[in-house]
Amino acid sequence: MALERYQEFAETLEAIDDEEMRFEYILDLAKRHRDDPFPEEWMTETNLMHGCMSKVWIVDRPQDGRHYFRGHSDAAIVKGLVSMMTEAFSGLTGEELQGLTLDHIRRLNLGALTMQRQVGMMAMLKHLQKLGRPDALAAAGSRPESPVRA
Amino acid sequence: MSGIAAEIGPGHNSGPDPGPDSGAGFDVERVREDFPILARQIYGKPLVYLDSGASAQKPRAVIDRLRQVYEEEYSNVHRGAHFLSGLATDAFEQARSTVAAFINAGSDEEIVFTRNATEAINLVAHSHAGAFLKEGDEIVISAMEHHANIVPWQLLRDRLGLVLKVAPITDRGEFLLEDFEGLLGPRTRLVAMTHCSNVLGTVTPAKEIIRLAHDRGIPVLLDGAQAVVHGKVDVRDLDVDFYAFTGHKLYGPSGIGVLYGKAELLDAMPPYQGGGEMIETVSFEKATFKAAPHRFEAGTPPIAQAIGLGAAMDYVSGLGIENIARHEAELLGYANERLAEIEGLRVLGQAPGKAAIVSFVIDGIHSYDVATILDRAGVAVRVGHHCAEPLMARFGVEATLRASFGLYNTRADVDTMVKALNKAKSVFG
Repeated sequence: MALERYQEFAETLEAIDDEEMRFEYILDLAKRHRDDPFPEEWMTETNLMHGCMSKVWIVDRPQDGRHYFRGHSDAAIVKGLVSMMTEAFSGLTGEELQGLTLDHIRRLNLGALTMQRQVGMMAMLKHLQKLGRPDALAAAGSRPESPVRA
Repeated sequence: MSGIAAEIGPGHNSGPDPGPDSGAGFDVERVREDFPILARQIYGKPLVYLDSGASAQKPRAVIDRLRQVYEEEYSNVHRGAHFLSGLATDAFEQARSTVAAFINAGSDEEIVFTRNATEAINLVAHSHAGAFLKEGDEIVISAMEHHANIVPWQLLRDRLGLVLKVAPITDRGEFLLEDFEGLLGPRTRLVAMTHCSNVLGTVTPAKEIIRLAHDRGIPVLLDGAQAVVHGKVDVRDLDVDFYAFTGHKLYGPSGIGVLYGKAELLDAMPPYQGGGEMIETVSFEKATFKAAPHRFEAGTPPIAQAIGLGAAMDYVSGLGIENIARHEAELLGYANERLAEIEGLRVLGQAPGKAAIVSFVIDGIHSYDVATILDRAGVAVRVGHHCAEPLMARFGVEATLRASFGLYNTRADVDTMVKALNKAKSVFG
């Protein structure tokens, strides 16, 4: 499974032993994406992940049977988390995505986050898995507002 | 007397000897010692609890009473001939008397124990409005209702073909009495109104609302979940027909709520749920039901929780609700002053005489992000739509932060919050 980026995140977060620093790292992830903004036309109802306290949009731009996600939130901290999640789990096949579990979230060592946030992270993972299912892939191709990988 | 207490109305003061701290003095530092949880640290910082509007912390008097119930007095109530059953029944029914005295009800029979305020409202929706209203009848609510006082009426509207009308408010969150009066028509059958907005802190002019409704023969239900915490509520002085509130915001346990209903109204209402406790006789052909309030209390009730609520009310009465209201009004004034120092911060709801509930947003920063910084500073506030999405839409926001003050909060709590808000501005601004 191509989880190199995920491993990098996990190792980086493990190396940061200060809770405040870990928090700042997540904020930095959000800020980094200012250079590569999430297009406004992707902020559609279809791409909205429901059930979050802030707005979260996730899009899948599948290519060659692998899933490449981009994510965004109107809240900075959540933007950092969704950026990490979408980066960490991009490049996987649908089958590989289905194999991800709560342990993958736990191993990210996000001690600075409350349990509620970790539940939110798990919801994000489930959303990625839903997008990665074969039926979602087929629907994505026929959905006009869903972005396709250039 | 503060505007809040005056607005909610003069009334009854029950409970034990108020003790040396009531009257002119309210020693908040001593009061804080009654709440064990306030001694704990959050992320290594002292807890600043500004989320009492969601649920208040519990004084030792309540915690000890719950322990005592389970260690010494517990059994099921209203059944069995044994000693403990009698003891538990006495304590449970004593709690009902305490509740009746706390809101100055005419009799204990007017107090129905429910799970929470939501269930109390649903009970009225089912057994009063659901039983007596017909297609085309109208119910009037306000623009600042909690979902608990919107959704039960929507469900009923859809079931019976009713019409739901919404009384408007000003941009400052003030209730518009004349507009409300204009909504009362020949088909209006019920007014279901908040007594105090959980978002804006606005205390509605309940006496006037009730007078206008009663002039037309319309009964009024007040959602008092917030109001009963911040000032004196006297249901007979208000002449309100139904009054719903919950225990856990009033420093009592969760899982216990109250519906006050005028005896003649409760007596006319069919049961809410069926089961044990609420019947007189049952055969396979039919059942007959007990009189109110037991008719509305099917199944084993929340026994310890009701007794715990009684202890909470005794505690609040001991401090003096007017003293609490005065303390909170002073804190609200200070919070408004300090929050005004923060550039880009907008408070929603500036109605005169409002309760100590402050909802606000900061330009350009998501409330969720601000709440996270506050949390890291040990400051507990609520963030979100506060179960009042229509009100959020009215103000053009999706979420706000809400600091809701309780009897144990201090000026230092306000200062800590303001410091954390400034930090949030520097991190995200």
